[in-house]
Amino acid sequence: MSDFDSPADTPQPSGHRRSTKRSRYDDSEASTPRDSSPDELADHQPYRSRLSTRRDSGPRRRAHSSDGSVDELDHTYHERNRDRNRDRSSSSSTRDSSHSSPRPPSPPTYRPLKLNYQLKFILKGHRKGVAQVRFSPDGRWIASCSADGTIKIWDAATGKHMRTLEGHLAGVSTIAWSPDSNTIASGSDDKTIRLWHRTTGKAYPATLAGHHNYVYSLAFSPKGNMLVSGSYDEAVFLWDLRARRLMRSLPAHSDPVGGVDFIRDGTLVCSCSTDGLTRVWDTATGQCLRTLVHEDNAPVTTVRFSPNGRYILAFTLDSCVRLWDYVSGTVKKTYQGHVNKKYSLGGAFGVSGSDGFIVSGSEDGDIVFWDVRTKDVVQRAEKAHEGVVCWVDTSPGSDATVVSGGLDGTVKIWVNIPEGGEVVDGMNGVKLEQDGVDADMVDVKIEDRDGYDDTLRDDASMDGRRSPNRGRGRNGNSRSHDRMDED
Amino acid sequence: MNLSLVDPFVLAQDYPESTTGSLRSGHATCVRFNRKGDFLAAGRVDGTVVIFDVETNGVARKLKGHTRQVQSLSWSRDGRYLLTASQDWKCNIWDLSDGSIVRSVRFEAPIYIGELHPWNHFKFVVALFDDQPLFVDATNREAIKMTLPSAPKRTRYDEDEATTDKQAAQDAKQNTTVVVFTASGEHVISGTSKGWLNIIELSTRTTIYSTKICSGVVIYLRVTSSGRDVVLNASDRIIRTIQLPNLTAADLDPDTIDMEVEHKFQDVVNRLSWNHVCFSSTGEYVTASTYNNHDIYIWERNHGSLVKILEGPKEEHGVVEWHPHRPLIAACGLETGRIHIWSIIPQQRWSALAPDFVEVEENVEYIEHEDEFDIHPQEEIHKRRLDLEDEDIDVLTIEPVKGSIIEEENPFRMPVQLDLNDSDGEEEFIAIGRGEMRRKSPTDGRDYTLEGDAVASGDDRKSKTKKRR
Repeated sequence: MSDFDSPADTPQPSGHRRSTKRSRYDDSEASTPRDSSPDELADHQPYRSRLSTRRDSGPRRRAHSSDGSVDELDHTYHERNRDRNRDRSSSSSTRDSSHSSPRPPSPPTYRPLKLNYQLKFILKGHRKGVAQVRFSPDGRWIASCSADGTIKIWDAATGKHMRTLEGHLAGVSTIAWSPDSNTIASGSDDKTIRLWHRTTGKAYPATLAGHHNYVYSLAFSPKGNMLVSGSYDEAVFLWDLRARRLMRSLPAHSDPVGGVDFIRDGTLVCSCSTDGLTRVWDTATGQCLRTLVHEDNAPVTTVRFSPNGRYILAFTLDSCVRLWDYVSGTVKKTYQGHVNKKYSLGGAFGVSGSDGFIVSGSEDGDIVFWDVRTKDVVQRAEKAHEGVVCWVDTSPGSDATVVSGGLDGTVKIWVNIPEGGEVVDGMNGVKLEQDGVDADMVDVKIEDRDGYDDTLRDDASMDGRRSPNRGRGRNGNSRSHDRMDED
Repeated sequence: MNLSLVDPFVLAQDYPESTTGSLRSGHATCVRFNRKGDFLAAGRVDGTVVIFDVETNGVARKLKGHTRQVQSLSWSRDGRYLLTASQDWKCNIWDLSDGSIVRSVRFEAPIYIGELHPWNHFKFVVALFDDQPLFVDATNREAIKMTLPSAPKRTRYDEDEATTDKQAAQDAKQNTTVVVFTASGEHVISGTSKGWLNIIELSTRTTIYSTKICSGVVIYLRVTSSGRDVVLNASDRIIRTIQLPNLTAADLDPDTIDMEVEHKFQDVVNRLSWNHVCFSSTGEYVTASTYNNHDIYIWERNHGSLVKILEGPKEEHGVVEWHPHRPLIAACGLETGRIHIWSIIPQQRWSALAPDFVEVEENVEYIEHEDEFDIHPQEEIHKRRLDLEDEDIDVLTIEPVKGSIIEEENPFRMPVQLDLNDSDGEEEFIAIGRGEMRRKSPTDGRDYTLEGDAVASGDDRKSKTKKRR
């Protein structure tokens, strides 16, 4: 029935995938210490991190030399996807037709959702691909993490660069904000989770160590007392943040865990994995309460609870985003129209007026917005980034600013300009897309310089004991003194 | 929100089954859950109050300010303020948003119990040793103490010089040993050393009703969360549950109040005394810790029968508390000062791990569907699947969860301290090298000394805390 059933191609990838992953890891460990030099990092970082692929730790390297090369894994992938694409084009919205979607008319009472997101700021500074961008719960800040091993905090309203958090020994794949917006947790390929003060930019002394492999996803509990982490080591850990203690280890999956999330009241945790399963866990007892699996068994890379906690949004590597009713265990909606075959992309729920939308990045550089109810693509920000748009997040406020991060190392802020965007175009410093780029270039230059500062600092501190404080003492503080008062 | 997924049989279980763990921070002598049930306050022998996070079983906050053993604890309704009464003759009101003492009231006598007003976190009542109970209004920095009567209200019908005199003499010797607020906070129920139960109206500070409930001393009183019932522990080894009249009724005539004992719980075989009693979350059950015995008893109130004797760690338990909405009991071990937890260990349902498996009670003969093995082209399956997704869904509207407390406008949320200093000996074992542990010696952690040494350690503490301040 499902195209994953054929035994010819399934076992092989899974076996292969894992062995390559490990051997690669061992290799690098043996030949070059992971934190030896920035160059070494540079060598394999761009293709790693969340950005990178799960099925293709092999290609990660190969892609270096020849981008077009497809190994056997990719091959199987493409074949599968070709089928799927065909299906999709026959069924509903393909990429091209998505603007005028052929879906049956929505219920008469329903007013179609209109979105008009325009670029507001380009934030440059990361030297490598941006894996995740997240709005703080109070909506004032944006944190972005990157394969270059740093986390940057930006002012959401002005786009100003506030701080750079350094300390991880490898690329940072995931970040999460505490509910009070004062702490950031980051998970990295150096297998540790760090907690950072937002105001000082300093890390809390003790890291959360315990994962045996890359930390890939994090989420705070709504009260801020717990953290859930998903890792490449196939486990999901629940941490007591006050004591920095591993509270519970959930024997979650048989493949790397791609995403984790907390429900709004903190009683449930969900996790997803490359093995195609999404599991729902009871926080209090650590028991698995529900497993969601789609017939096609496509690898699930990111999961998110809906704002009201009734549904789970799952991003899968078959270019679909599915909305699950986890109580009944059924798919309620399937959103298509973006490309997601290789990278673990992320998206978010947003609110426009009283309606909900879903936004996600795409591997072709677009950002795609769907109406939650009709599944229509309501907006497509074409070529939002050069290359893959890894992560998109919405601000918690009612205006739902959108921020995106891409493999090109930039972070972009988008705002919704309601009805007749051309007219109000000059308002609030919001410019047309083209102008926006130009206008922001000024800002960008500053950030760029900052970026170079980072480089210098990095070079200096990379081999020795990395102390973000010392580095910051020199130039970081001087830059952000005025803003510290705000805090 | 996990309720819809949890096994209904687990949810139907409403009292704990077995011990599931323990909490430790020093030597705890009393515990109390907040109304939401996410935090457990524990008072220690050394005067420190520790707030445990029930979700993580970790310490959320430590409150240092008392110099002697903590006697009783009482949370404000929103969980932001905590009233502590200590053997240093002081009551403190703590603000948990920053851990500061907002009010500290000193009394002229040791305190049996302090109880916070259910709606006003600056008002409380205290029962004092060998003294009249007080109603304290600490709204201003200078707390106003108002004396409440201990003497029972006598009916005037048997007016007779001799008996009145005798009664007056008796009443003068009578002391209030325990006070609690009713749900509305307009009345105080008090128990006396002669076994009387008084209802005191706060506005007039007069006893409006009295009844002699038992012959011994009333040790403890507790009102259910609904405020309709009260449980009473007395020194005559009997636990009584009593239904409260509606004291807020407009046409309340104190003379017509009739309070009858609903159930009497006792162990007639072993003649056990009870250290502490408490209601279950709904008031359906009553639990008690036993004197000179290790067990915790649970009775149900429908028929008044004993439903469970919880066995646990081999030690006697003092204060026992039931979680406000879960089948979970916490009790303080008297010897070790550990807080033991009884709860339910749910079984993992294996069908939850694999959605295509179903747990069945009996074998089911499988009947194949007509079209079960029909082969459809991929596209058709896909299309059909997508077409099925025409349901109208709402990802934004938050539905209230049944059975949970309706959240207030701005619910208080205790800040999470990530830099909590819990270095002063939470663990009995300390690492002395790689892979080597040793038990902490009694000298470097005074927390573990027995009651007898408590005085000395208390003094130590005093100097220490002073320095700290």
